[in-house]
Amino acid sequence: MNNSQTEPRVKRETKNTIKVEFDRTPFWQRMKAKFITKNFLTKVIWTIFRYVILIGISYVILFPFFTKISSSFMGPEDFVDATVKLIPKNFTLETYKYIFLDNKYMQAVGNTALLSISAALLQTFVCAMIGYGLAKFKFKGNKILFLLVIFSMIIPHQTLQLSLFMKFRYFDVLGIIQLLGGGSRWFPQLNITGGVTSINLTNTYIPLALLSATGLAFKNGLYIFMMRQFYRGVPNELEESAYIDGSGIFKTFIKIILPLSIPMMITIFLFAFSWQWTDTFYTSLFFTRTSMVLMKNVIAIPESLKEGMTKYAAGQSMYQAAIRNTCGLMIIAPLVVIYLFCQRYLIQGIERSGMTAD
Amino acid sequence: MNKEADVKLVQSPAKKKRRKVHSLEKKTARGGYLFTLPFILGFVIIYLPVVFESFLYSVTTIERINAGESYQLVWAGLANYREALFSDPNYSQILTAGLRQLVLDVPAILIFSLFIAVLLNQKMVGRAAFRAIFFVPVILSTGLISQIDYSNTSLMTYMSDSEGIGTNAAQSTSVAEIVSAMDIEYLFSNMKIGGGMAKYVSSILNNIYNIVNRSGVQMLIFLAGLQSISPAIYESCNVEGASAWETFWKITFPMISPMILVNFIYTIIDAFTSSTNTVMSYINQVYGEAGKDTLSVAMAWIYFAIVIVAVVLAAALMSAFVFYQRRD
Repeated sequence: MNNSQTEPRVKRETKNTIKVEFDRTPFWQRMKAKFITKNFLTKVIWTIFRYVILIGISYVILFPFFTKISSSFMGPEDFVDATVKLIPKNFTLETYKYIFLDNKYMQAVGNTALLSISAALLQTFVCAMIGYGLAKFKFKGNKILFLLVIFSMIIPHQTLQLSLFMKFRYFDVLGIIQLLGGGSRWFPQLNITGGVTSINLTNTYIPLALLSATGLAFKNGLYIFMMRQFYRGVPNELEESAYIDGSGIFKTFIKIILPLSIPMMITIFLFAFSWQWTDTFYTSLFFTRTSMVLMKNVIAIPESLKEGMTKYAAGQSMYQAAIRNTCGLMIIAPLVVIYLFCQRYLIQGIERSGMTAD
Repeated sequence: MNKEADVKLVQSPAKKKRRKVHSLEKKTARGGYLFTLPFILGFVIIYLPVVFESFLYSVTTIERINAGESYQLVWAGLANYREALFSDPNYSQILTAGLRQLVLDVPAILIFSLFIAVLLNQKMVGRAAFRAIFFVPVILSTGLISQIDYSNTSLMTYMSDSEGIGTNAAQSTSVAEIVSAMDIEYLFSNMKIGGGMAKYVSSILNNIYNIVNRSGVQMLIFLAGLQSISPAIYESCNVEGASAWETFWKITFPMISPMILVNFIYTIIDAFTSSTNTVMSYINQVYGEAGKDTLSVAMAWIYFAIVIVAVVLAAALMSAFVFYQRRD
């Protein structure tokens, strides 16, 4: 850094011009002063370290997808051929074709889309509503209610699976149907419904719709928590000015608050939708009949591919795994498209939430 | 209705000031109840009965009558619990193994997700792309997909030889280990930490796919927490000459500590739904067997009770160290 400073030499060239000659620091010395310092070197090493780790973990995340995709194009011959690694030798689309035809893929997409979109829309709206109510209104029991939301998240539904099933298999609201059907202890003579004491709601969309509409479905506690934290960051002045202008509570919520929270709601919709799309727990709990084709039914070995499997018995287990993975790829294909469009909002929504745990 | 109330509110004369305040309070309270009504109804009509009945089932057995049209509960006392703990040959073994796995996994997931969140929070080229990649597992590797991954035994090793990443958690003993335990042990023997630690670290590294898949939401929560720390604090640290290491431990860590508590609880609750959870899958298997459905409920309650007691104790311990910033 301390390059020797000599006085600049001043030469008079003509009457009106002078020439000043500096001792300029040589190029290499300047570069050295700039780049070979402790500060810069630690920065470089840290940057390299960071990229190595990030790229390494990205590889861990993405590599299984690459293997799944490449193995989905392989024929059964490739799994007994030791020279085939990542690039298929017998390129084939049979696996896709037969999953599409034999496993009723389109039917599953239709049913699951209807289920997931309606459940996710309901959950997003209801969780926004509950989160708003908890964040912006002072009323008796507000804090207790928030604790109950957390409580509903803490007991995993897996623990409750039998009673959830029984609840919707023999559905009844506070004993009203039992009372009307003459099954109650106090009014056995009453029999309006003709002996029916409960309704069977399994194999319909109703159980999931009910759970979604009451903010009790899969991880809804998390969504309510996220929405509440988001709304706590929204200034009160917004609603106050709306109230002064004569807008009611619900109108304010629909016209002013909801448009404001769209990034957050997209995040929650994305979570709710994709988790419902790949869900196994609720669909296998509430949909016991196989006539209802959902995504979980797509994962099966198609009949038409079994011929090749017996022909090349040595690679059979791997071929089966490859077929299952192809089913998985086809299941997540719609999600990939949605993720590509929405991932921007996912991170935005989370960053704007200003989430703190107080 | 609301409009009328508003009009009244504006036009009411100054004399009735006290009443006006009261009605506004009442109005906001009513709004709060209205907005949270779905949850209140659901909690009272569906959730509480379900939790209560679930507990009831664990102390009874179910007899179906009228060809499955209705059912009858027969009191069984603690028989289900006794059978789960003492008669069932596998349950207590799987339970202890599962709890041990949980104790090992939770710190790994927390440390990993915090580390990645800190990395992804810094400004650099390609940050958006890295973020997009890191949140892929949150959306794409849940439920059905993780079930398929779990059953992938040989394919991944076959496809990639020794450098592959096993998607199967039980695969860590195979050839496909990314980092062999030998290297780690060598590294740790110089640091005098001990073989147990070495084994732990190498098991985490070999399970990295599983850990990455399960830490997506935690990463998001940490990122949100990091975003909410005021940049002014970092700036003043920089001016005072604190190193990045000091800044992390003195600023970032205390400020993020509430999030660590949240993520700690979330990770444990989330572990119940993970497909690699051996206890839950064993309980599911028992649930599927004829006549053993109430036994499975008792098993689930035992597992849940142990975990929740541990969580409450650990959370109480941790909350003594959690730092809450006062906001005005």
